Amino acid sequence: MTRRADTPYSRRDFHEAQGVLLITREPPPAPPPVKGQPAAVPGNPAEGVEILIAVWDDGSVTALSGHVDLGTGIRTALAQIAAEELDVRMDQINMVLGDTTRAPNQGATIASASIQIHANPLRAAAAQARAWLLSQAAAHLDAAIDELEVNGGIVSVRGNSEHAISYADLVRGRHTALLLDLNTAVKRPEDYRLVGQSTPRVDIPSKAVGELTFVHDVRVPGMLHGRVIRPPYAGADHGDFIGNTLESVDESSIAHIPGIVTTVVIGDFVGVVALREEHAEQAMRELAVKWKEWPALPDLANLEVALRDNPSTRRVVANQGDVDAALANAAVRMDRTYVWPYQLHASIGPSCAVADWHAERMTVWAGTQNPHVLRADLAKLMDLPDVAIDVIRMEAAGCYGRNCADDVAADAALLSRAVGSPVRVQLTREQEHQWEPKGAAQLMEIHGGLNADGSVAGYDFQTSYPSNGAVTLALLLTGKVSPQPIAYEMGDRTSVPPYDYQNLRVTINDMAPILRASWLRGVSALPNSFAHECYIDELAAEAGVDPVEYRLRYLKDDRAAELLRATTERAGWMPHVKPQQQEADGDFLKGQGVAYARYVHSRFPGFGAAWAAWVADVEVNRNTGEVHVRRVVVGHDAGLMINPDGVKHQIHGNVVQTTSRALKEEVKVDARTNTVISKEWGSYPILNFREVPVIDVMMMPRNDQPPQGAGESSSVPGTAAIANAIFDATGIRFRQPPFTAELVKAALSPPPAEPANPPRTRRPWWAVPGALLAGAMGIGAAMLGWKSAIPEVTRIDPSIYSAEVIERGRRLAAAGDCSVCHTASNGVRNAGGRALDTPFGKIYTTNLTPDPETGIGKWSFTAFQRAMREGISRDGHHLYPAFPYTSFTKTTDDDLMAIYAYLMSQEPVRAEVPKTALAFPFSVRPLMGLWNALYLKPGPETADPARSAQWNRGAYLVNGLGHCTACHTPRNELGAEKFGKYYLGGAMVEGWEAPPLTAITHAPVPWSEEELFRYLRHGHTEHHGVASGPMLPVVQELAALPETDVRAMAHYLASFNTPVSEQEAKKASQELVTASRLGAERVVNADSRLFTTACGSCHHDGDGPALVGVNRPLVLNSNLHSSTPDNLVQIILRGVRETASHDAGYMPAFMHSLNDQQIAQIAAYMRQRYAPDKPVWNDIESTVARLRNAEHAKN
Amino acid sequence: MNTSPLRVTVNGQQCCLDVPGDAPLLFVLRNDLGLNGPKYGCGLGQCGACTVLIDGKSARSCVIPTSGAAGRHVTTLEGLGSKTALHYVQQAFIEEQAAQCGYCLNGMIMSTVALLQKNPCPTDEQIRNALAHNLCRCGTHVEILKAVRRAMQLAAAEKEPK
Repeated sequence: MTRRADTPYSRRDFHEAQGVLLITREPPPAPPPVKGQPAAVPGNPAEGVEILIAVWDDGSVTALSGHVDLGTGIRTALAQIAAEELDVRMDQINMVLGDTTRAPNQGATIASASIQIHANPLRAAAAQARAWLLSQAAAHLDAAIDELEVNGGIVSVRGNSEHAISYADLVRGRHTALLLDLNTAVKRPEDYRLVGQSTPRVDIPSKAVGELTFVHDVRVPGMLHGRVIRPPYAGADHGDFIGNTLESVDESSIAHIPGIVTTVVIGDFVGVVALREEHAEQAMRELAVKWKEWPALPDLANLEVALRDNPSTRRVVANQGDVDAALANAAVRMDRTYVWPYQLHASIGPSCAVADWHAERMTVWAGTQNPHVLRADLAKLMDLPDVAIDVIRMEAAGCYGRNCADDVAADAALLSRAVGSPVRVQLTREQEHQWEPKGAAQLMEIHGGLNADGSVAGYDFQTSYPSNGAVTLALLLTGKVSPQPIAYEMGDRTSVPPYDYQNLRVTINDMAPILRASWLRGVSALPNSFAHECYIDELAAEAGVDPVEYRLRYLKDDRAAELLRATTERAGWMPHVKPQQQEADGDFLKGQGVAYARYVHSRFPGFGAAWAAWVADVEVNRNTGEVHVRRVVVGHDAGLMINPDGVKHQIHGNVVQTTSRALKEEVKVDARTNTVISKEWGSYPILNFREVPVIDVMMMPRNDQPPQGAGESSSVPGTAAIANAIFDATGIRFRQPPFTAELVKAALSPPPAEPANPPRTRRPWWAVPGALLAGAMGIGAAMLGWKSAIPEVTRIDPSIYSAEVIERGRRLAAAGDCSVCHTASNGVRNAGGRALDTPFGKIYTTNLTPDPETGIGKWSFTAFQRAMREGISRDGHHLYPAFPYTSFTKTTDDDLMAIYAYLMSQEPVRAEVPKTALAFPFSVRPLMGLWNALYLKPGPETADPARSAQWNRGAYLVNGLGHCTACHTPRNELGAEKFGKYYLGGAMVEGWEAPPLTAITHAPVPWSEEELFRYLRHGHTEHHGVASGPMLPVVQELAALPETDVRAMAHYLASFNTPVSEQEAKKASQELVTASRLGAERVVNADSRLFTTACGSCHHDGDGPALVGVNRPLVLNSNLHSSTPDNLVQIILRGVRETASHDAGYMPAFMHSLNDQQIAQIAAYMRQRYAPDKPVWNDIESTVARLRNAEHAKN
Repeated sequence: MNTSPLRVTVNGQQCCLDVPGDAPLLFVLRNDLGLNGPKYGCGLGQCGACTVLIDGKSARSCVIPTSGAAGRHVTTLEGLGSKTALHYVQQAFIEEQAAQCGYCLNGMIMSTVALLQKNPCPTDEQIRNALAHNLCRCGTHVEILKAVRRAMQLAAAEKEPK
């Protein structure tokens, strides 16, 4: 049943309703613009008064707030506040958050201010509603107001519950609107019944069963799917090139994709709209867009230098005592620099929005943090008045600040306008990572020191925070907003240390972003506190005083001191005056660190939110450098907690996220352009379940104190506590997170300097032979070149062949993989046109259907037989040996006839194929006559009587129709297969390695006959890899063969391998797997993190999730043991999108998410991890580049 | 490209899907079948937000082409239970309040279902390993671990003779 509280969709619906009590307020006047602070957008008086509370005649209540729930649970907490003041049940409330159509304009949901500050109007409104309702009830019940009590919206006379009237009855048949009186008396905290009680979140049940909640789930009738194509300057937000770097868009490049509705180009904004989402995504990948040259971003290799070089304006916010004199007289000068890296908001769901444009009006469903600011942006972008736009706020993945939620809403608006239909735009993971306004890098420099007595001489603190509010991207890309550098004054959050330093100066260097940046949880306060709290630890150590004791000397805020004492006591703080006092546990060094901060948010001097203190216990592996945060004890004082469990969960979240930021997180940029290259989770790993510390939360009982923001506070001291604990464990100070294993290891045991290896370049193998061939070919051409044509025939009537013969021919054609080469990508089977890359040029395959003009319809069997035996086309011209007639020639006449019958029985398809045009001298086809004289042995081979019938059958299939040698046998200078020991000895083909099939195999487990059979039959095996790349279609075709034939092939191939039984193979395989799991040298570095996070959900040592699909241990994978990384790189680039059987499993292509260097890192790690006895692969990066750009990949 | 309709059983219903066979299963579940449970997170099988069950096993629907689900049984969050008839894992997650923004919740619940079907009594380490590649940015890990343990209890209680 629908409640009335759920039905209004606009302010007008409230104003026009009957049976309701409204508490309204005049939109607050436009705030004066404040330099360098987040934008505030005034309410538009044209929209009338704002509504805060509506009490309906069915007993339900609508409560409205301008703030939104970013996953912190304020929907529940605000509902508790409204329910408390109204004395109704939680389930009577519908909490409306953030819609511009209904909710009041209360600015952006930032700075932990929703409960602390912005709940006040709602609280007052609810109290005012209750007061009015009680006055009405008093008249109805003929009782004094102080005789009444309320429960669940029923007013009764105390002690006589029969004598009662409901809110519903009191508002029925009337429309009452009262203007908010902020002076209305609200409840005393001691009278609270609901506030202060842990209350289940109202949103979780719907989310746990998949009901519509998220903006990602919005579906509108007629909705189309959009994707955007972003410019190459990923992460830039200012500079003249922004908005005018596009050179051209070639729409014909996506003409082949079905259901493309339109392509939208405005300045540097490019988007596509399609009927189906996967086609929009395909169009996004394949649309040919050319960009002009643009200047690279400033060098970010050294953040400290980059931040110093970034233009800034100095702003002194605190200056007391005489810092300069104090430092001049200091007994010990301690000048320190702390650097914070760029970090990501890293929302788990990339941003999404739906826009529905009607001429002159638009609705946008968005996951925005600031609906009214977004509406103003959209108005500017679309040249509409703000009141013509409805922004409906839906929930989104947690954002912890400004991510791409607004950007994608603007993208959707532009695309919807272009097509006149609702359009949903989903950003990709790569786009969200690359373009989200980063949590800014930050530079904190402290000049300070100690007096002779160990007291603090002076504290001269400077902080540089390159960030702003991040102009909505489409405004920049379309040129609506000029791409100027904009500096905000937000580096001042918690810039004044909490310690009572007599001589103190705090200076903010306000600066524009380098990379597009905006607020991220803790904003500038978190890095500032990192510096304050590390520095006081350094002072304490230098003074030889316990870090807690030293802090308490300077912490004059009693509430803070009490919190710090209580927290350290709870944690079992081990006082120490120097590091490394705890005994190491084997390889693990142990340390304990402390830090304290009160998050001071909003415009300087700002407001203090909750107080927080951390004690972190860490273990540092002295061999690998890994830091594990074992336990965190957090003390937290948030005053009155509306929902204590909600606060506790927020603290847990802050601890996990901060630990993640401290240990792992750092945005990586391209060394040349400084654009963002962290595009997926492997290159930006976040803390996972294995790494989560034990978290002990101690919440101070302060119900008598006003509520303080709790969304960010407990994150603020975290990094310093961890850094201080690492110092305690190792005696080494780390002043720039993340504290990665390689950083710590290098500090613990600096490696000797190594000369850099010059990169090696490889010459393509055919470079020399090609030249030789060119010369040699000239000689015998005239002599052997020309062959006669075989007369045309009218197409043979296939009915002369029996169904059995045709079926046998179909199977034999499958054995010969005819259709694999003679079918173009997305083309008709056997109609030709596929381009084959050979060392001599591109060869197009011919049409094998019986079409008389373009196919083989006019071919007699004799012509077909000659082509298969001698490589001569019907008209007498030579075919190139990319067509494996040197193998096919071994086929018996009987089998050739069956294949011919099958081919002629196909439906003729008229399909012209591109002409093969090789460069001279290969273009001179008669030269092939000489080649054939040298390398072709026409005709079937006789069976080997010494071998079994099965072996001979296998040999016939493998060497004949199966033409296994064509790929698996290396070729000589003239492109002919080599003999002897080279037979099936492995070769490169089309950018893949066809591995050796004989005893020289590099497979770590020998191939048994049974394994060979399984591989050929099912495409995967127990002790080896999965058939992929060019081998996949071979296995797919072999499916047409009877099992006896496949077994015969396996039997024949096995005869070239050292015989191995199933049991022996199994044993070898198990030993390898065990050794790989136990014996591998543990290497922890950026490469291992990349691999573990990017690939680890499937590829793990049996200690990860069990996912659908076979997943053989990587140590068994032959590709990792090969001398070249090509096959591994191919698979990483292109993934496994098709498999020979259902159970094989799929793998995504990483070519769009990882750059050459990152793929090379993964490959190098896998090689040393899974084939440690093999030499390292050299220069993998250029292999990746070559294979990424390989021509064959673009077919 | 697949041109003939694909038959997939989704949440117990036989579906005849006239969609491109190479379309990610995730998109087809969401766009063609209107399901909200599986979420797009990375498209690379790294984060687990899109997790569904295929023939009872955990699967990342963003990397599986729809043709790969042909002839198989797919279960999504919606197929586990509803608000009035919760699956015990859903119930456990609600009771432990194991969501902040809730975007990863689908993957956490589905992965837990798959884990407990295979191993009804996992150790803490086994739970952490099984969920190690389900990413949560809000830091709900503590509550999620508690929810998995509660789900184990609820499952055990369900099995007890009444």
